[in-house]
Amino acid sequence: MEKEFLTETHRSVTLNVTGGKIDSFREKEETTGTVRVYENGCIGVAGCLGIPDENALTDKAREALALGIPYPCKLGGALEQEDLNEKEIIPVSELIPTMQSFLDRLGDACPRFAFSNKISLNYRKTEYRNSLGRHLTSSGSNVDIQLLAQNRGSGNLFDTSFVYKGADFDPDALLSQFKKEYNAFYTSADIAPGRYPVVMDISDLFGGTLQHFIAEMYASGASLLSGKLGKKVFSDRLSLKNDMNPATNPGVCFFDTEGCVAPDLRPTLIDRGTLVGLLTTKKSAEKLNLPNTGTAAASYDGVPTLGFNRFYAEPTAPTLSALVPGKAIYIVMTSGGDITPGGHFASPVQMAYLMENGRLVGRLPELNIGGDFSDFLGNDYIGAVRGDPSPDSMLCAVVMDVNM
Amino acid sequence: MIEFKNDFYADIRTEDRSRTVISYTDGILQEMKTSVECRAFLRVYDGRMWYYASVTDLAHLQKTLDGLYAAATPNAQILDDPVVRRFERNRDTALRFADCSVRDIPAGEKQALLLSYLPLLSEDSCVTTHKGLYLDRNSLFRFQSSLGADITYDYQTCGLSFTCSMTEGEKKFTGTWQKGVTRFDELKGLNDELRAAVAEEAYFMRNSVPVTPGKYPVVLSPEAAGVFAHESFGHKSESDFMLSDKSMRDEWQLGKTVGSSILSIVDCGSVPGCGYVPYDDEGTRARKNYLIKNGILAGRLHSAQTAVALDEALTGNARATDCTFEPIVRMTTTYIEGGDLDFDQLIAPIKNGYFIKTINHGSGMSIFTIAPSFAYEIVDGKLGRPVQISVLTGSVFETLGLIDGLTRDVHLLSFVTGGCGKMEQMNLPVGFGGPYVRVSSMNVQ
Repeated sequence: MEKEFLTETHRSVTLNVTGGKIDSFREKEETTGTVRVYENGCIGVAGCLGIPDENALTDKAREALALGIPYPCKLGGALEQEDLNEKEIIPVSELIPTMQSFLDRLGDACPRFAFSNKISLNYRKTEYRNSLGRHLTSSGSNVDIQLLAQNRGSGNLFDTSFVYKGADFDPDALLSQFKKEYNAFYTSADIAPGRYPVVMDISDLFGGTLQHFIAEMYASGASLLSGKLGKKVFSDRLSLKNDMNPATNPGVCFFDTEGCVAPDLRPTLIDRGTLVGLLTTKKSAEKLNLPNTGTAAASYDGVPTLGFNRFYAEPTAPTLSALVPGKAIYIVMTSGGDITPGGHFASPVQMAYLMENGRLVGRLPELNIGGDFSDFLGNDYIGAVRGDPSPDSMLCAVVMDVNM
Repeated sequence: MIEFKNDFYADIRTEDRSRTVISYTDGILQEMKTSVECRAFLRVYDGRMWYYASVTDLAHLQKTLDGLYAAATPNAQILDDPVVRRFERNRDTALRFADCSVRDIPAGEKQALLLSYLPLLSEDSCVTTHKGLYLDRNSLFRFQSSLGADITYDYQTCGLSFTCSMTEGEKKFTGTWQKGVTRFDELKGLNDELRAAVAEEAYFMRNSVPVTPGKYPVVLSPEAAGVFAHESFGHKSESDFMLSDKSMRDEWQLGKTVGSSILSIVDCGSVPGCGYVPYDDEGTRARKNYLIKNGILAGRLHSAQTAVALDEALTGNARATDCTFEPIVRMTTTYIEGGDLDFDQLIAPIKNGYFIKTINHGSGMSIFTIAPSFAYEIVDGKLGRPVQISVLTGSVFETLGLIDGLTRDVHLLSFVTGGCGKMEQMNLPVGFGGPYVRVSSMNVQ
């Protein structure tokens, strides 16, 4: 019988912001433990909330083998790897005054906006051990600023958002960036219908396509990508990955729940235009005879299933101005677009700016974007940039149809 | 026995939640587990700030509460605070599911029920892979406050969800059918319904045609109408978005015309189903709240904090996804009230339009979006071919004014997967529904 043992601890402190003022303070801490055992091609799982008793969980997991859940796979072999990021971003005792000072300055800089929502400090530590000698430990923190901005008097739930998630907190840099967006918000811009470079967050662009990368869906033939594994059918400029690298995704765990560690800590789906990987667990990779990309996740008491952290596209330009010189549309918020079974994508856009040479010029009226999914990955894909306009941003540019 | 201190307001909410998950892919067992979790969420208010803690160690609630007291500032006038004065002090035990708890049904019986349906998924050769899922949840809640409120109530849902991926030549489709109910026995005998759903998915894959984008009259099913009501107007009725900007109160004055005169939208926590919330997470009793009545803005949804800020009555809508979050203003079961037509009368005047039968998802701010799954042409007052539509979209207020027909019957729906997301709190169970709703013009893409 083989065995895996995992523990995970999450701690967070979250402030609620109403009208630019902090009005609540929430503390959470949760530890979970998991034992998974494997015997005769089946899996048994047991988990608990709180500090785990490994022996008791192992007994329960053994009992769960009787359910007969097939899980034929091999555990990863011996490997010791540790990545502990224990740096304190802001002491908890200073969080309220630090953030209220930041909010006061933001309010002064952006007086026509009313700010609300959450600011949090998050910490996670994960440990994985298995009976073949693999031992992985990861910890990390981030500060997560998720501010909604209401244009006073607009009548809207919110009009735009100022967001940042990172391992550092630099209020001056954030204020400077938010102020640029604020100034553009109050400058009207217009654009005629047509085809334009559209710049948007990589997750907004590719999030709706995630199901097509799922191994089972690929194998069933129902994925728009079916039959393309190993083939170079997309743009040379496109390398698309799952970002499990703390250097670019602060706070993330560098291994998946089955103890898989990807090269560069980013499981690769598309490499320079070639579909090289799908979203797999060890089980689905084994069953479908596919390479395992190491993108499994699990609840503390559940059988591994698929997980995904955040899209990462290999940058093709150092700055936005280099990526899209000239006119482009910078999308801040879409409104629930979708893809038809035939691959046509359409989405209303709630908030977008006209951009020229990488600089925000002004706010565009509500518009619609659309195009073909395979073209987004192919001929219409322009490229990606990281760290512009903010240190945590990962933006892609694609040519799309734009209508008012 | 919890000891509440003077000079603060405090409340404690506990949930004992049992949840069963059984899943199969292509007839092979993938997951089978029953989790029981006990959690608590504690709040202390000193008149200026709220202090919260979420814990799983229920043996030491007093210690956690005392820690929150230590962080807060004593306030001798706390009982005069307008928010504290607004809290209800209900004492009640409301156990609806004691005689039919899914906790009492053996896992093997749940598994057998799910297994009995799986052969129906592969009757058509175009199905290349299928998944079957059984889910249930039974929760026992207790709410206690320093004002003397003490409420115990239970909540239950159970359901089945089946997903089929199909291909034939270049044609592809993945469709999901699900049924959410509150009693296990209601999940039996669904063979004909499931078989018809899979057959419709295959028919849609084989025969659906791309839509020609444009503006058309559209008929929304109760599912689509319910999501439209929830997304387009329900979220705008959640009053917490009015706290940050006082000018919003002028913009959203009660009595303002916001829709067609035949349109009434209701939110009510006492409706049975997945949006059942007899007491909200501040201990407020559920009631029927009109958001729109005959096209007029008639009310909005509140927590105690927003009710005080807007000087309006409590509505029972302070909800948290679970005991890891504080309550915020959320919907319960939101629906459009019925009209005076039957379905044939509703579609009869439409020369060229679309019927939206099921949806994948929806969202809404000043513009709304509905992503349909099944949609059909309406040609000369009759249903026609199935069509592929990416999204329906439009201005919320313009569209609310373009509703010009409603059927008599109202259908309320419950689901066991997904749920409503708002900021950090995702997948809150909500109910929704309505009659079939005709809109004279919508942007179809």
